[in-house]
Amino acid sequence: MFGKTVAVDGIDLEVPTGAVLGMLGPNGSGKTTLIRMLLGLTRPTAGTAELLGHAVPDAAEHALPHVGALVEGPGFHPFLSGRENLRRVAATEPLLATKAIPDAVGTALERVGLADAADRRFRGYSLGMKQRLGLASALLVPRRLVVLDEPTNGLDPAGTRDVRRIIAELHAGGATVLVSSHLLAEVEATCTHVAVLQSGSLVASGELGKLLEAGTGGLVVTTPDVDVALEALRGVGATAFREGDGIVVSDGGPPAPEIVALLVRAGVAVHEARRRRARLEELFARLTEESP
Amino acid sequence: MTLVESATTPHRGSAPMGRLLGAELRWVLRRPRTLVMLGLFALVPILVAIGVVVADRNGGGGLIGAIAGNGLVLPVAAMTLMLALLLPLAVAMAAADAIAGEAAHGTLRSLLLAPVGRGRLVVMKAFGVLVVAVVATVIVAVVGVLAGLVVVGGADGTLVTLSGTTLGFGEAMGRVGIAALWTVGQLAAVGAIALAISAFTEHPLVVLASVLGGLIVFGVLGAIPALDWLSPYLLTTGFSAGADVLRDPMTWGDLGGSTLRALCYMAIGGGITTSRMLTRDA
Repeated sequence: MFGKTVAVDGIDLEVPTGAVLGMLGPNGSGKTTLIRMLLGLTRPTAGTAELLGHAVPDAAEHALPHVGALVEGPGFHPFLSGRENLRRVAATEPLLATKAIPDAVGTALERVGLADAADRRFRGYSLGMKQRLGLASALLVPRRLVVLDEPTNGLDPAGTRDVRRIIAELHAGGATVLVSSHLLAEVEATCTHVAVLQSGSLVASGELGKLLEAGTGGLVVTTPDVDVALEALRGVGATAFREGDGIVVSDGGPPAPEIVALLVRAGVAVHEARRRRARLEELFARLTEESP
Repeated sequence: MTLVESATTPHRGSAPMGRLLGAELRWVLRRPRTLVMLGLFALVPILVAIGVVVADRNGGGGLIGAIAGNGLVLPVAAMTLMLALLLPLAVAMAAADAIAGEAAHGTLRSLLLAPVGRGRLVVMKAFGVLVVAVVATVIVAVVGVLAGLVVVGGADGTLVTLSGTTLGFGEAMGRVGIAALWTVGQLAAVGAIALAISAFTEHPLVVLASVLGGLIVFGVLGAIPALDWLSPYLLTTGFSAGADVLRDPMTWGDLGGSTLRALCYMAIGGGITTSRMLTRDA
């Protein structure tokens, strides 16, 4: 399959129904290979994959009608228009009734903002338009799972917003969405769960919020009275240190409400108090640089 | 009935076969290179007709010579002539685009993900190739008849057979039809092998080169007397049998034999294509 290259190895990952899972990883970390195995396009040398409760690739035909996918870039015929290309895909969709095809194609084209260019040949499409057409083909039928491999590739800011909106709509409609991306801001904005791949192994996975909170914790208090605050906190045995225009109180001491109350009693002007969350970018850098 | 219910039919694992074949047919016949090629094929019988009329004064032998003053020989002669290389080229091109070309465009992936079952995919692709074989052959036959009647003319719409007897227009058309059917059979054999090669690559040119190279090698092998024992196995051995429809009474031996050989090639090609497509990554 890949000669002697081991593309992915020992990955045990479950995508909860209704989640928007962002799959992150540096180039060549195995994101696409994992997606291809999930969709039955590549047969794993060992291990099993299950898609909507059906084993793949052997029983993939039961699950695939409910799956929309944009994998490894949009694939279409250059001599056909966007609409004709989409009609050809629609003709192969098991869940689409023949008489519903023209409407489904029209709706999908509008949804990705391609209605105006629908009758131009695919040959003349820009990279972003090609990507939009690929997205449209994943949205032809109401899906239970939508797999988008680098969906914002080549898209302008408006296109990126459209993708974000579409993912949000799918999520609101109860579909499970699997997005692979190397744009961390994208994932942070749209996903409920993340999985981080590094050299073919899964280095972290779980709910986005929990992952971000774990690791770098602490309560950040913004205040001009730093010295008074540090003194007061040290008096009750809490670990605190100066950072930026305020202090950071480490976890393990009194809970947050008590800390704030203590500070206020000590006459410290508390401008803001919040839990510190890592940015996804920091988390990602830490995860992918730690592992060998 | 709600909109959702009318738009989807939940208990089906694959789109209806008729719809798949229709989509494949549209795709094959809208491809610009297919259309250009078919257009050029229509010119071949006309060029042969003009050539025969111009060269008529000098006389000539063989199948082409027999066209002189005997227009209805033209379609059969054109099909036999083009079976040597041009018609297989058309079929090989269709087969190359059918699987290797789809893989190169990334569209094979969409077909497998739809999902079009892998077995159905082979049927769909074989159908597309067969359509090209049929359309190309019919174009050559029809243009051949018209060019034969209009440009060459002669014998008042009757056919003078190679045996010297004369057949009426109706029976002559029957003979042209048999030749066309037989030609499609030979082309289907070429197409099955081409499709099998196409299933192993994502470079359409590999398919084209293999098929044309193979035909040339077969032709060379068939021409070496020391390799006589090989000729029953070579597809090209039977390629000249089409002229037998011009004999009176018709001799079925070579036509039947070559058709049987073509069926064997189809079975082999179909088997290889199917087994490969069942496991192919896309």
